[in-house]
Amino acid sequence: MSAQSRYPERVWELFSQAPHAGRPVMEAGWRRGEAAEPLSATRVRVYLAIAQGCIRDVRYEVRGCPFTVAAVALLASRWIGQPTDTVAVDPRGLLSELTAPVMKLGRMLVVEDAYRRALQAADQTA
Amino acid sequence: MIYLDHAATTPVDQRVVTEMMAVLEAGYANPSAVHAAGRLAQSRVAQARAEVARLIGAEPGQILFTSGATEADNLALFGLLRPRPNDPQHLVTSRIEHAAVLDAARRLQADGCPVSYVTSDSTGRVSVAAVEAALRPETRLVSVMLVNNETGVVQDVAGIARICRPRGILVHTDAAQALGHLPIDVRALDVDLMSLSAHKMGGPAGVGVLWVGERAAPHLKPILAGGGQERGWRPGTVPLHQVVGMGVACRLSMCQLEADIDHFRRLTDELARRLTSLEGVTRNGADDLRAPHILNLAFAAVDGEALHASLGELQVSGGSACAAEKGEPSYVLRALGLNDAAAEASLRLSVGRNTTQFDIENAAIIVEKAVLRLRDMGPK
Repeated sequence: MSAQSRYPERVWELFSQAPHAGRPVMEAGWRRGEAAEPLSATRVRVYLAIAQGCIRDVRYEVRGCPFTVAAVALLASRWIGQPTDTVAVDPRGLLSELTAPVMKLGRMLVVEDAYRRALQAADQTA
Repeated sequence: MIYLDHAATTPVDQRVVTEMMAVLEAGYANPSAVHAAGRLAQSRVAQARAEVARLIGAEPGQILFTSGATEADNLALFGLLRPRPNDPQHLVTSRIEHAAVLDAARRLQADGCPVSYVTSDSTGRVSVAAVEAALRPETRLVSVMLVNNETGVVQDVAGIARICRPRGILVHTDAAQALGHLPIDVRALDVDLMSLSAHKMGGPAGVGVLWVGERAAPHLKPILAGGGQERGWRPGTVPLHQVVGMGVACRLSMCQLEADIDHFRRLTDELARRLTSLEGVTRNGADDLRAPHILNLAFAAVDGEALHASLGELQVSGGSACAAEKGEPSYVLRALGLNDAAAEASLRLSVGRNTTQFDIENAAIIVEKAVLRLRDMGPK
């Protein structure tokens, strides 16, 4: 059994391609949020480019299991182009959408915290 | 596919397959039968016994065939220790033993047998002094493995036997990872019982050996009931083809052990050189104490599960195959002082006779690429 076959197809695709991954050049309008879980050494850093109440771009850095990477990447793709007052993270919904085992809930909470903090963060470059 | 998980199991050597097939096709008599075919089967068992014995410096009569090293470990512990209210039979073992010993020890403990678990130091070695400190007047048995199945660290079993001998304490060692990878001489080690496995050294799965030395023999009791096979210690029809397979694997190892060791060492040294040139890659267990076929490396700043998932066609383990089924970080690596995350982000890379230089080069590229990608993705 290959490693790939241990994960749902969507998770594997998001993990292996990691769309929008990387650190942006921090110009005006970028906000940053970070969260970590020491036991598993999971760490998520999210960057949001916000202008006129809309999320123009999302970038992230992540150290975590394939489900964590997939969740971060999924939200990045989903949040781009959305008004800030319409976005939210539902950790249990992510678990279900990614067909992740319930033991991954803690990692989804880390993802939620990072996104929430980025949304709440003062403009890093202001 | 690049298979670097020989410490879990090795492919069966084609020469072993050939001789096993001959037995399966034409040599199917029960070795306990008295007719001519049975006597022929018995002579094949005797030959296999002699071949195993020769590889470890033992007498053929001391070789007791089992279904594998797990059964051999169970027989050694349960066959020697019988907890009784007025006769505490203390066992000393280590925290880095294979589950076959640790789980047997826990069961003995639950039945009233006192057990002391000695930990290893950060090099992966169980010190003789730590074992000595755990000994008690009522200690009956010490069980410490010869080569750790995850780190490959060779334990000072001879040193441990040296402190047990004057006290009349029996010594058992699980040598499943040592057979076919290191020269073994039971007399030089001066142990009393040794567990061996065929499928870690080119033989078939499903057969192993408990070597029973003369000091242990009078005390060992069977743990199964049935016919009187294997001198009554291991009742059940001897699986002729399996036993022949183990004998052939040992015969081959006898002839090419030196070359095998050179081959294993050259490959793992090359792999270690390549991978430790990456930043944040460290060895688990002291390199100068390592058996030649196992390399265990920890990769900093990557997630263990993501690393394993990124290895594609490279087949390796995080720890022992038995522990991996439980999905928990390796208890052996945690005993060395690694935290859960570091233990999970470790790879056991183990080579075999058919591993090539090309495999090693490709394996190094796959691991390097995976580690660099994951680090690139991670927070700086």
